[in-house]
Amino acid sequence: MSIANTTVPVTVLTGFLGSGKTTLLNRILSENHGKRIAVIENEFGEIGVDNDLVIGAEEEIFEMNNGCICCTVRGDLIRILGNLLKRREKFDHIMIETTGMADPGPVAQTFFMDDDLRDSLSLDGVVTLVDARHVVLHIDDSDEVKEQIAFADVILLNKVDLVSSAELDQLEARIHAMNSAAKIYRTRDAAIDMDKVLNLGGFDLDRALEVDPKFLEPEYPFEWSGLYELQPGDYHFVLKPGPDPAMSLNFRSAESVTEAAMRDTVEKAVLVFSDKEVELTNGAVIEPGEQLSQIELESDQLRYILRVTKPGAYVLFTEHHPDEFEAFVTDAQGNQVEASFTREYKPDHEHDEEVTSVGISTPGDLDLERFQAWLRELLATQGPDIFRMKGVLSFRGAKERYVFQGVHMLFDGRMDRPWREGERSNSLIFIGRNLDREALNAGFNACLT
Amino acid sequence: MLDLDLSMLNQGLLQETWNVELEDYIIDLAWSPDASRLAVVTVEGSVFLIDDLGSEAIFKRIGGHPGGGNSVAWRSDGSEFATAGHDGLVRVWHGRTGAALQSLDAGDSWVSKAVYAPRRNVLATAAGRHFKLWNEQHSPFYESSDHASTIADVAWHPDGSAVAVAAYNGVTLHVPGKQAEPRKYTWKGSSLVLCWSPDAKYIATGEQDSTVHFWYVKSGEDAQMSGFPTKVLELSWDLSGRWLATGGGASICLWDCSGKGPADRHPRVYEAHLGRLTQIAFQPDGNYLASTDVDGFLFLWEPLKHDKVVCGVALPSPPTCLRWIKGGKLAVGQQDGKIVVFELQSRAGGKRR
Repeated sequence: MSIANTTVPVTVLTGFLGSGKTTLLNRILSENHGKRIAVIENEFGEIGVDNDLVIGAEEEIFEMNNGCICCTVRGDLIRILGNLLKRREKFDHIMIETTGMADPGPVAQTFFMDDDLRDSLSLDGVVTLVDARHVVLHIDDSDEVKEQIAFADVILLNKVDLVSSAELDQLEARIHAMNSAAKIYRTRDAAIDMDKVLNLGGFDLDRALEVDPKFLEPEYPFEWSGLYELQPGDYHFVLKPGPDPAMSLNFRSAESVTEAAMRDTVEKAVLVFSDKEVELTNGAVIEPGEQLSQIELESDQLRYILRVTKPGAYVLFTEHHPDEFEAFVTDAQGNQVEASFTREYKPDHEHDEEVTSVGISTPGDLDLERFQAWLRELLATQGPDIFRMKGVLSFRGAKERYVFQGVHMLFDGRMDRPWREGERSNSLIFIGRNLDREALNAGFNACLT
Repeated sequence: MLDLDLSMLNQGLLQETWNVELEDYIIDLAWSPDASRLAVVTVEGSVFLIDDLGSEAIFKRIGGHPGGGNSVAWRSDGSEFATAGHDGLVRVWHGRTGAALQSLDAGDSWVSKAVYAPRRNVLATAAGRHFKLWNEQHSPFYESSDHASTIADVAWHPDGSAVAVAAYNGVTLHVPGKQAEPRKYTWKGSSLVLCWSPDAKYIATGEQDSTVHFWYVKSGEDAQMSGFPTKVLELSWDLSGRWLATGGGASICLWDCSGKGPADRHPRVYEAHLGRLTQIAFQPDGNYLASTDVDGFLFLWEPLKHDKVVCGVALPSPPTCLRWIKGGKLAVGQQDGKIVVFELQSRAGGKRR
């Protein structure tokens, strides 16, 4: 007999041809012993299967007659998944591999629009593979690449062995700016821990939103960081006048002289950059710590002192790229000190991303009616441009958290567990095209009581 | 399983005559025209032939479709039947012995249907977007791929002169030998099931977008019925051709198609099922309507007389196929692989007029 709440998880695998989908699929099939996985393939790759079922399918996109222009579903998936459900006892997981050019929208919407699938399956996650080397060739003019990134819960930056770490940092920053809710992993030959791509729990928004709210912001407040291995002493940060009259920076210590250690300080630096800056003039001394220093940049010869008392690793975060000021670090004797690692955060200035994320994180209780009216209007007018949204909301008078997710104009939400002490707040994220950050924030805030 | 008290209902009207337990979810079954045998396809693709011996039955597995099965149908003379599966083939079987006679290349891996014409020995097959007609010697003589998606359903005109195909974008009517180009009944939606009214005036389709479409076959005009809670997979015409029963949720609707047709008329609504309907079927030679739901209930109605259930049976597993044959026999295939055959009894206490 059918028993409620035993839904079969479905993972959707997207990515351009050659990004490594088949490699990942083969890994999943070979590493997941004991689980029976059904694979629906829209693109024929070399899949090795013993115990699993592979079904080939041709993409069939159906429009739904519900007055919504963006509401399209995948007829082939309705048919094939419907058939798989009749054999339900025998599958623990379903993987759908889409073609490289597939729009993930109709795939995701299929799970909302068909009764049988909605009852029996759960969209566990959209995993997008990105070819770290070749994606830059497509990312600007391919809607498919943008949509595949925007729809993802997990993004694998694959083939990282073929690009420099600086290029990777730039790419990761760009992708993060487009979809700040997705987890991004760097992989080689699509090698990744299966727990990071399977059983994500698509509806488990705790997980999706466990990211620090600061990170829902798509852009880092600094453009560059460098990690230096320094002995005690005074170091000079030497600059020339540049395009800006002043710049913020944070100088802090790190655990070790590794790239990973620099990465670990990023989150703290983001917090520091939200503090009030301490204004400094030419020649001022900056000590490692939680201070956001704003250095004045209007003299001909600029020199700020970085004071180090203990040997170790130190990271300098700068609001603008040091190259804009021909900046460098020297020791007290004037010898230039090279950074062990550097990273650029701001995507290339020329890319004004069309696809972005807008995260809203705010305390307070929402008025249900006002919120519904606002969302209805928003989805009616901007549904085609809103690829995904998810969030946890606090409604006035409700003891439970309200969790929701949506795809274009389709929306699915429910009451979840009760709020815990001191936990009540709202966090939600929109991922889409041409989103108006200020209007979204203003619209949402107007729903607060 | 819901624990409903069915004791108030007349359970004597449907008497179980026999049952068999097959290995797997029954995806389709069909009575031989003389009601002596049942051909069965399971979701995993096994094909069974069951001999009805009256109070019991014997069955054998005669073969299968690797990858899975979809449908089964008999030729009108009962000499053979055909099964469709996921292996790209239509398999033709001897009607009495169950011996494999032919394997026909249907043109694509997903073969949704193989249906014989009424009274003529012509077989229509649908695989992916490809539609083919085969003559008595199993040679193809008509082909068309003029469909917008994988074909979901195929049904012959009641006189066998034409055959209608349901897919995305509505219905395509093939008139082999008369028209080179098929006729299109275009509707921007995904038609899932299709059936002709017995007088061939209408084609009704059940749609993915929770509607039912009526096509006036001659004029090509259409009418759309909406308001169904789910997609509509259950359609059945009554013997007279006046009434169409529809599912698409837990309620049965009966549409009056007499005169100007169903447009602007409200349907009669029949409510007793709590769970979603899985099948509805009018008796081909009487006025009873049988219906089943996801909770395993089988109800019998006399919908033209009143809106009450006249007989109820609780089955252990949700029914997937409901097939009447003339003479009041009803075969019910289930998810757990069981097939139960009932026989309609004359009413206790004699017939009332």
